[in-house]
Amino acid sequence: MASVSASHLILFIASMVIAASVAGVFTDTVGRLGQAISDQGLDVSENVRTDVEIISDAGSDAVYDSATGNITLHVKNTGSETLPPRADRIDLFVNGVFETDVEATLIGGGDRWRPGDVVRLDIDHPLDSGDHRVKLIVNADEEVFKFRT
Amino acid sequence: MGFSVSGSAAIIFAAMFVGFGMFHSATVNGFETVSDAQEDRTDRTLVQQNTEIEIWSATWDGGAGELTVRANNTGSTELAVDDVDLLADNAYVSGYATSVDGDGATNLWLPQETLAITVTSLDSDPGRVKLVTGPGVSATRTTGVA
Repeated sequence: MASVSASHLILFIASMVIAASVAGVFTDTVGRLGQAISDQGLDVSENVRTDVEIISDAGSDAVYDSATGNITLHVKNTGSETLPPRADRIDLFVNGVFETDVEATLIGGGDRWRPGDVVRLDIDHPLDSGDHRVKLIVNADEEVFKFRT
Repeated sequence: MGFSVSGSAAIIFAAMFVGFGMFHSATVNGFETVSDAQEDRTDRTLVQQNTEIEIWSATWDGGAGELTVRANNTGSTELAVDDVDLLADNAYVSGYATSVDGDGATNLWLPQETLAITVTSLDSDPGRVKLVTGPGVSATRTTGVA
């Protein structure tokens, strides 16, 4: 009779241990999933809040300086998200070619590109005469600027 | 044996309860953040649609070395003067004097009011100007010589 109680006790402890480990794994997984959903919500919200406009005057001859091979663009933050005014956070394509030689300067200085502020981009990319296009991507917001040299 | 089954079932049930709570709060928070951002974008788009400006004069006075730009707020949104950007031949201009209907101190540019910008930092006639408002709506004009 004592052996029956002992085996019951062993089975009881084993079932508790297994249930506790299943519960632990379950809550841990759900916690990770919840964190991932939360992060994705923040990312999507950041993308939705980001809006920039290329405000350069496409009709001006000064967009491209043929002497230095430099394209100058002005980009205004028209969204509601504060962005970093750094060239490595802005993707640029000139005539479909990814451009890395870009210098970003926040007009008025500072290190926060607030809504309403303007960033000047100096792109070192020699161009032939003709029609050209620059594509700018910031936080999944895409803008295209077309001009003539 | 019966107590083992009900005990472990209770533990699993409690874990599911806790898990649901965690999942629910994360989902609701994520949804709220995104829906707030979407509402904000809708508002911004509405403001942008209701914004319109017209530059009715851009004059370069070579004698005084002064560029004067006059623009009318022809839309229905109230604009902020310090959010307005001026480009003279694609060069960003700052440090200019502004006045709205003669008031140099105000920061509000209301519908049907005229914003006058006087730039004294230029050396020569830029040839063309572009005025950009806070919502991103812009207008261009070639300059005339006084």
